[in-house]
Amino acid sequence: MSELGPTPFLILAAFLFACGVVCVAAKRNAIGILMGVELVLNAANLNLVTFARFDPRFRLEGQVFALLVVVLAAAEAAVALAIVLNFYNTHTTVDVDDGNELKG
Amino acid sequence: MLDTLTAIPGRLYVVATLLPLAAFALLLLAGTVRALAGPPYRRPGRGGAYLVLAAMAASAALGVTGLVTFLNDPAHLTHEETALSARWSERVDWVRVGRIDPTIPGSPALSTPALALELGYRIDHLTALLFAMITVVGTLIVLFSLGYMAGETEPTVEDHEVDRQAHARRPAALGGGHDTTPPLFEGERPPPHPTHFHRRGRFGRFFLYLALFAFSMLNLVIADNLLQIFVGWELVGVCSFFLIGFNYERPSAARAATKAFLMNRVGDAGFLVAILIAWSAFGTLNVRDIASTFAGGPPPMLSYPLWIVMGVGLFLGCVGKSAQMPLHTWLPDAMEGPTPVSALIHAATMVAAGVYLVGRCYALFAPEVLLGIAYTGAVTLFVAATIALVQTDIKRVLAFSTVSQLGYMMLALGVGGWVAGLLHLLTHAFFKALLFLGAGSVIHGCHHEQDLRRMGGLAAKMRVTAATMLVGVLAIAGTPLLSGWYSKDQVLNAALAFAHDRPEHLALFVLPLVTAGLTAFYMARLWFLAFTGTPRDRHVFDHAAESPPVMTLPLVVLAAFSVGVAWGWPPWDADASYLGKLLHESRPSTVADAGGGNHLLAGGLALLAAASGFGFAALRYWKRETVPSAGPPSGARRFLLHKWYFDELYDRVFVRPAVTVSRLAGAFDKRPTGDAEPARSRVDGGTLDGWLNAVGQGAAAAGRSLRRVQTGRLRGYVLVLALTAVAMLGILTALAG
Repeated sequence: MSELGPTPFLILAAFLFACGVVCVAAKRNAIGILMGVELVLNAANLNLVTFARFDPRFRLEGQVFALLVVVLAAAEAAVALAIVLNFYNTHTTVDVDDGNELKG
Repeated sequence: MLDTLTAIPGRLYVVATLLPLAAFALLLLAGTVRALAGPPYRRPGRGGAYLVLAAMAASAALGVTGLVTFLNDPAHLTHEETALSARWSERVDWVRVGRIDPTIPGSPALSTPALALELGYRIDHLTALLFAMITVVGTLIVLFSLGYMAGETEPTVEDHEVDRQAHARRPAALGGGHDTTPPLFEGERPPPHPTHFHRRGRFGRFFLYLALFAFSMLNLVIADNLLQIFVGWELVGVCSFFLIGFNYERPSAARAATKAFLMNRVGDAGFLVAILIAWSAFGTLNVRDIASTFAGGPPPMLSYPLWIVMGVGLFLGCVGKSAQMPLHTWLPDAMEGPTPVSALIHAATMVAAGVYLVGRCYALFAPEVLLGIAYTGAVTLFVAATIALVQTDIKRVLAFSTVSQLGYMMLALGVGGWVAGLLHLLTHAFFKALLFLGAGSVIHGCHHEQDLRRMGGLAAKMRVTAATMLVGVLAIAGTPLLSGWYSKDQVLNAALAFAHDRPEHLALFVLPLVTAGLTAFYMARLWFLAFTGTPRDRHVFDHAAESPPVMTLPLVVLAAFSVGVAWGWPPWDADASYLGKLLHESRPSTVADAGGGNHLLAGGLALLAAASGFGFAALRYWKRETVPSAGPPSGARRFLLHKWYFDELYDRVFVRPAVTVSRLAGAFDKRPTGDAEPARSRVDGGTLDGWLNAVGQGAAAAGRSLRRVQTGRLRGYVLVLALTAVAMLGILTALAG
């Protein structure tokens, strides 16, 4: 355990992040996009706790910020779900490609 | 209120100055409210005119009260300067500038205490007399205007002049030299016109301007510092502009107003330079303070060249305002304004402001500048008088006569006749206002006929006007015991004394002497042509009628003033004039008493010249039926009819180059080809507009192309975002590595 450096964790975080971004970029379903966003947030969280564990300078900060991100993700999910609900009410779908009324 | 006025009676003048301003403000407010709230348009009301008349009358009452109080002031009688100043002058800081706090270390030390622009007034004999003159004459002229401008109370006014000018050639004076139609001589029958121009009556507006003018002029007179004078100076200038252009639909009126305004700007530039020099050299603009530094010769803080420049600058301002050579050409054109305006602004008060300023700032002029003033006046008075000899428009004769008389005043000041010049200012104001109002009465009675060649025999129809105008003519010609005689005699005497001391300047006496004869000639010519002989135009004569009492009453009052305003005891002694004695009191101490000279010689010669001029005119025009200047004018006559070709000269030298430069600038600025179809792209690389349009159209094109990026597709945005982040990360890594 102690011999394991931060690198595998960072690679995992990068992988999760990439998954999240691809999910946001590729999905048409709004719920799917939300899930992608959660993935991105959690990838960032993983980075935070990794540095909290392996870098003594960030021992406390990393953990605190990870908690903060968790709270943030909850709030974000609440707001985003409200938006999705409203979107559904007006468009009777959750396909984000239909929401192009602000096109320039 | 009364207590303050008795303690500081000078405040009478402040109140009297602010009254017309209050009337102006009320009228402006009422007009705005009426325009905003009322029905679209109604008949112009007379209330505003009565308000202005009341304000002017109150000002006149206060001005006369102030004059009497001033003359009987105990401090004045005992010559206590400080007590007099305390009671008759006040000054407050208006704007503080350049305030230096001495407690702050390192702040630059000022060599002069130039800390504040001041507002203030100071009453002395000159101011008190001028103030009374302006308010009294102003009141009479406002009263006269009630009758003269009565046509403006109609809801619609037909202006034939607009149509006439639309069909006539534009005068070549200002830039319109590209038409090929032959010029229309003054007074020629207009061609038949198919259109009839109508406009709304502007009764109230006229009196609004008059009220503003009265305030500005009074402010100019009571001001104790150059800046405040300058403010009044510019305000009267703009009022003059408004009133010359009162019938602004007429191209000639609009052009005359512009001309007057621009000509005055030329002079005002000099005035401004003088003010700045005074400010930097003396640190104050208070005229009295500046003059006191000159008590023992030129002050050390002002170098001699700067002194000259300051004097020339000040005088340049006066040249513009008082229509002296070479800036005199605006005043005759200013006759486009309604006649009461010509009487008030362009004869009695505003144009005299230049003379007043020279008199007020007398100590500030170097001897060389004074000599220049004298020569300017001498040349002006002669040139203007010669032009007046051949004019056929009744108002233009009077306009050139005004220029000429202003030249007399400048000449008198230049040769050291301070009292003579300002006395002539005062007497001239009365008889010239009388003459102009008389001309106005004639014009009104003849239904806007101004051409002397179509008058004649009007004395039978307009008795009061004819009689009062005769008084004015006699006064300006210098008939003994009339006011003009006293002042002109003193002017000539001063000129003679000067020429006696310095024989090389003999022209300064000869020119005014000859002009005295010319003056008598052209004024008598005007009167004979208008009032005697057989009617030359039956139509004009048949419809002529005496003006209503509201117009003749001011004539009578002004005639009384023209006769007796300069009287003293004994009346046959020109030096005994009471008015002259009063002016003597406020003569600046630096002026040597311009006594001496051979009084009898000057007076006798002037009288001889005037009598011969008058006699010659009587011989030529009295009871004659001949129309003057029938047939094509001969050489000298054409020269005079063209006013010594000054307008043509200025047209060539200033106006046309300016127009050419404007055209070039316009060509640079606009598209060279005036294409009618609205082209999609107005970019033309060769012009300024083209460049500016290119910038604007480039921005628009960028916007048009960029809006395609805003697809509204969320996934596209995220993709771009992610790719951008990756790209930037890559760049950063590459840079760091």
